[in-house]
Amino acid sequence: MPKKLLLIQAFFKKEFIIYRRYLLNSLGGMITLYVVFLLLLGGFQGLRTLTGVEGDTVEGLVVGYVLWFFMLSTYQDVSYALRNEAKEGTLEQLYMSVHGIGWVMGAKVVAAFFINLMLVAVLLMAALVTTGVTVNVDLFSLFPLVVGTLLGSVGIGFAIGGITLVLKRIDSYTQMVQFLLIALVAAPAGRVMWIRFLPCSYGSNLIAQVMVGGQHITQLGLGNVTAMLFIGIGHLGLGYGVYKLCERKAMVQGTLGHY
Amino acid sequence: MIRVESLVKTYPSRKGKPPIKAVDDISFSVAAGELLGLLGPNGAGKTTTVKMLCGLIRPNSGQIVIDGKDLTQRRIAALSKVSAVLEGNRNIYWRLTARENLEFFAALKGLNPAHVRGDIDHYLELFNLTEKANVEARKLSRGMQQKLAIAVALISQSRVVLLDEPTLGLDVQASYEIRQLLKEIVHDQGRTVILTTHDMNVVQDTCQRVIIVNEGRIVADDSVHDLLDLFRVRVYKITIQGVLTPCQRASLLDMEQVIIKEESPERTSISVRLEESQVLYGVIGILGSNNSLIESIDQEQNNFERVFLEIVEGGTQGA
Repeated sequence: MPKKLLLIQAFFKKEFIIYRRYLLNSLGGMITLYVVFLLLLGGFQGLRTLTGVEGDTVEGLVVGYVLWFFMLSTYQDVSYALRNEAKEGTLEQLYMSVHGIGWVMGAKVVAAFFINLMLVAVLLMAALVTTGVTVNVDLFSLFPLVVGTLLGSVGIGFAIGGITLVLKRIDSYTQMVQFLLIALVAAPAGRVMWIRFLPCSYGSNLIAQVMVGGQHITQLGLGNVTAMLFIGIGHLGLGYGVYKLCERKAMVQGTLGHY
Repeated sequence: MIRVESLVKTYPSRKGKPPIKAVDDISFSVAAGELLGLLGPNGAGKTTTVKMLCGLIRPNSGQIVIDGKDLTQRRIAALSKVSAVLEGNRNIYWRLTARENLEFFAALKGLNPAHVRGDIDHYLELFNLTEKANVEARKLSRGMQQKLAIAVALISQSRVVLLDEPTLGLDVQASYEIRQLLKEIVHDQGRTVILTTHDMNVVQDTCQRVIIVNEGRIVADDSVHDLLDLFRVRVYKITIQGVLTPCQRASLLDMEQVIIKEESPERTSISVRLEESQVLYGVIGILGSNNSLIESIDQEQNNFERVFLEIVEGGTQGA
């Protein structure tokens, strides 16, 4: 098996073990997510404001919420993880990996993404069975759009994580990022051209076109999808660049593993 | 295996404090299979040096080459040869079991955990952790956590192992066990080990060679044996029966090399630093002037703690 896959597998196993070992805490998160899905499927429009997603359909609400959930979790998987590893004393070990810190954090994000994906799928299914509601979601169109959108939130995670390495305790500011993510999802990228260049905005706009407009990915235009992916990769690169700059500063100051 | 040349590290000024020169132009090399002790008082630059060897702190200038690979230019290739325990028992995941930690860190070093299962069992056994293999690290004793952290460093099969204070905070038994394990690692596996410590028993018991740093500079670099020898020949303890006369006392105290250590009506002990043989004749002459009966002349038992203090406090240049 390629070494990078082994790394993802190792993080997958580690995350899963911790999830299982702290079952009570994990159950609390699962119940919350399940209740949110019940409210969404029951047509509770209040959550529309919370997630900032466009569209009035149940499918739109569900996908909007799931998108925001994944954006938040991928952002936290990078920025919070860097802070926590430094706090626990294991960050230096991650730095000494033969894979390099970028791949290590990437593997962590991918592993956590798939765990969350499984969790969301199971809980959504349970909520659908409970409510008797059916949703028609074009997963084939959505999956690449969601992945492209999440590149931006991973980039934000790297940038914030890097700043945390240098400035240390900035928790109150990092919490604000979740509201920034809502604003980015809700920003009118369809109407205002420059907003498309903001992290996650173009992707969420294309997702809305699929969910609300009922379009298939092929109808969005190859140029639009490619542009969204490139913008996502650009934000990931930019975030990683900020991270590397901060990392360099922390290495000069000798504070890399401190918290 | 490791070559360090003209390494300099100055921490930039922060919050109005002046810059701190932590490492000041140090050079040394470590051969494959060597167990080197890096010693020095607090703030001497030991941890900074080790962290630079791990690629975690960026030097201002100088070069670090590990197994022929320049750490600055080929970071990942150079670090593939290195593993480290830097934060003692904090280098492991406390929520994972001993076995899960070993499996995870093997993957982090590019190994397939399934392929190193035998190695994992071997290290669990070597470190007396087999019975605790499935116990979460946070539930292990501090000594066991420390042993697990070292096992995690070894599972990567890296040729160089860096240990920052591996016995810090351990009880006598756990410290002894770790010392024995370190010797085994070097002797049986031919790994290169660099350790920093304040525990001179660890140095005397395990290290073949020591580098002593003070204020960022190397003040001694020699084998433990040679350093002990260098200082051992200089100190003698002369014990006489009875007490010194005031005249003898005054004459002895005039000599810089003499310390009157113990005095009782029965016997008196005098410590003589023997920098030249004339000093000893001078002391014996003073004692003979009142026919004091010399009971014994002993070479004082030297230990590495004394050597260390002599070097650091005296600024003596070793070999």
